[in-house]
Amino acid sequence: MTPVTEKKFAVEVVYNGVEKSIQVEVEERVSALLQKAIAQFGITQAPHLLSLFREDGTVVDESQSVEQARLKPGEMLLLRPNAVKGGSERLRVAGEILPATFMLLRDCGRGESECAVYWTGPGSDHTVDAVEHPAHTRSPFGYEVQSKWLTDFWKQLAATRRSVKAQVHTHPGQAFRSASDDCWPIVSQAGFISIVLPDFAAGRPTLDDAWIGVILNDGHWQRLASASEVLVVS
Amino acid sequence: MTGLEELARTVLLCRDYVANDLTDYEICERLQSRQILCVSDLRNLSSHSGQTALVTLVSLMSRMGMQVALDIPDVKLAFAQPPLRGSSIGSALLGANEGLVAGATITTRVDFRPDVIFALGNTPIEDYRAPCWRLSGDEWSGRVDIDGVGTPRAWTAEFPIGSMICAALAATEAFKFALRGLRLRSQSDRAFLRASRSSVWEFGLNAAPFTELDLGLVDFISAGAISQAALYVLARVPRVRMRGRIFDDDVTASSNLNRNKLSLKEDVGRLKVEVVARRCPQLALEPIAARYGNGNPELEKLAPRVIVGVDDIPSRWEVQRRGPAWLAVGGTSHFNVSSSVHRLGEPCSGCLHPIDEPGPDAIPTISFVSFWAGLLTVVRLFQDVLGIPCPLGRQHLWLSPLGMDMPRAAMWSPVAARKDCPVKCFASRSLTEIDPIAA
Repeated sequence: MTPVTEKKFAVEVVYNGVEKSIQVEVEERVSALLQKAIAQFGITQAPHLLSLFREDGTVVDESQSVEQARLKPGEMLLLRPNAVKGGSERLRVAGEILPATFMLLRDCGRGESECAVYWTGPGSDHTVDAVEHPAHTRSPFGYEVQSKWLTDFWKQLAATRRSVKAQVHTHPGQAFRSASDDCWPIVSQAGFISIVLPDFAAGRPTLDDAWIGVILNDGHWQRLASASEVLVVS
Repeated sequence: MTGLEELARTVLLCRDYVANDLTDYEICERLQSRQILCVSDLRNLSSHSGQTALVTLVSLMSRMGMQVALDIPDVKLAFAQPPLRGSSIGSALLGANEGLVAGATITTRVDFRPDVIFALGNTPIEDYRAPCWRLSGDEWSGRVDIDGVGTPRAWTAEFPIGSMICAALAATEAFKFALRGLRLRSQSDRAFLRASRSSVWEFGLNAAPFTELDLGLVDFISAGAISQAALYVLARVPRVRMRGRIFDDDVTASSNLNRNKLSLKEDVGRLKVEVVARRCPQLALEPIAARYGNGNPELEKLAPRVIVGVDDIPSRWEVQRRGPAWLAVGGTSHFNVSSSVHRLGEPCSGCLHPIDEPGPDAIPTISFVSFWAGLLTVVRLFQDVLGIPCPLGRQHLWLSPLGMDMPRAAMWSPVAARKDCPVKCFASRSLTEIDPIAA
C-alpha cells in the first residue's frame, strides 16, 4: 500500500510566546510560509531579518519548498531574527543627498511627470554620497530609463568600484509601489531599497510620507514602517 | 518633556505595537502617568528576598518612567542594594526618587490613586479599586498572580533569585497595562499585551540554595545593560565571591538609564566600567576602559569563564576564538531574550549568531527584557560552577517575557553547528570532516 502524504497541513509558529497555526502546502516555498507568519503576527519592525527555526535550533531554508525542508504536520517553528540585534545595517545618507534628490525630481517632473534617481556610494560600505539622474522618457503614469544610459552607468560604476544603494522615484498622488515598479527595480538583490515619493516630490523634502521597501530573499517587496529602519541621514 | 531622552529606547520599542501616528511625547506621557502602588507588611519585608523583590520591581518600573508610591514599613536592609544608598529599605528607595530616570518619582504619597497595585507575598491589602498582583516564590522560582489566585506565602528566604524573577514578571504586567491604554497599530497585537492571571518562572536546577560560592575568575565583555543586569543580580546573592575584569570603553549616556541597572542619573558621562566596579566592590572587578580586542595581548588573555553582553557580533566571535572553557552570551531583540552557553567542543556563539548585522545606532530596549538577559546569564554561571549539567538541548534559550503565562514563552534548543561558522569552531569543522561531499 502506498503511503499517503498530506498535501496540505498546518505548522505551529511561535512569536513573542504566542502560538498560531498556519496552513501550508507541500509545494509552497518556505519563504511564502515565512511571509504568511509575518503577516499573521502583524510584524512591521524589521521583518526582513526574521527566519523560522526548528526546535533542534536549525534554520528552515527559505529557498526550499515545504516538502524539501521536510516540515511535518504540527511541527513547532520559532519565528525570530537570524541575528540577535535590533536591526540591519542602515544606509548612511550624506546630508545634502535628500535636498538634491527632491530638487532633481521636481525640476525634471515639473509637477506632472514621474521621474527617478539612483543613490550611489562606494561599493565597500553603506554610504550614499551621490545622486544619479538617468536619461529617461517620462509621463504622468511612468518613466523608462534609456537602455544606453543604463549600460554606460553600469560600466562607470564598475570602473569606479561604486554601487547603487537605492532607487528613488515619484508618483502622482499617494506614494505606493506599483506592479511595474515591482517588475523593474534597477537592482533585484535582497536588501535593495526602493523609495517612492508622493505628489511628484512637490512636498517637504523629507521621507515622512514616502513608501519605503526592501527586496526580500524570495524577490518580493516588504514595505517598512519608517525610513529609520534602513537609513540614517547624517 | 522631562525623561524623554532617558526613555527614548523604551519609546522606540513601544513602536512595535502602538499606532504609527502617536508621537514619542504621547507614548512617553502614557508611561510616565502610570501610578503604581507597592505594598508590603513587616513580615514580607524583613527578609533579603522580600527586600530584593521590592527594590528590583521599583527600579524596573522607574526605568520605564512610571510613578511609584510605597505603602511599606521602614526596615533595616539585610544586605546592600546597589546602586541605591541607605541603610533602610525606605531611605534607599526614597533616595532614588527621580534618581534613575528624570520624572520617575518614588514617594510615600497618601493621595495616590493607583492604576496598578503590587503586593509582596501574603501582605494584606486595602480595597484600592485597582488591579492587584501578588509577588511570591522561593529561592529559585518566582510567580505573579492576580490577587485571589492561589495562596501566596510570605517572603522569608535569604537567597534572592526567585524574588528577582517575580520582580521581572511584575514589571512586565505594569508595562502591558500602560501600553494597553494606547491606540495600537493592529487589534491583533492585543494578544501580546494581555494581562496575565498567573505567570511563573523556575530554573528547575534542583539545587539547594548555597550559602556561599566562589565563582573564581570571570571576565565580562561590555559594561552595558546585560552585564549590568548580571552584576546587579550577583551583587545581591550573599557571600558570592569572584574576581575578574570588565571591558568597555563607553561612557554612560542618558539613553542608557532605561535599562542599565547599576547606573544612576549622576553617572551620565562617566565610564561604564568605573560605575559598575564601584557599585559592586565585593565582586573584585578590575575595570578595563577599552574595547576587548584592542590589541594588547596581555589584556586579551581571558578568564576560564566569560560573560558576553556586547551586541557587536564580530566581538562575540573574537571572544569565542580565544577559546574560553565556558562562555555565556546574553542578547536581546525587541521583546525577546537570547541566552546561550558554549563550552569547549560545543557549537559556538558563531554557529548561533553567524551573521554580522551592524544595527542602527538606537536599538529598542526596555528595562525588564535586559534584566531577564542578565538574570538568565547569572543562573547559567551558577549552574556551571555548581557542576550541574546543562544538556545540549538547553544550550540556547529564546525567552519572550511579554508572554510568560503562555506555554511557549521559553523555547529551549540545542545550538546547531554550521559549516559556515565564522569562528570555525571544533563542532563546525567536525561537520565538514565527516561530510563526504564537502570533504
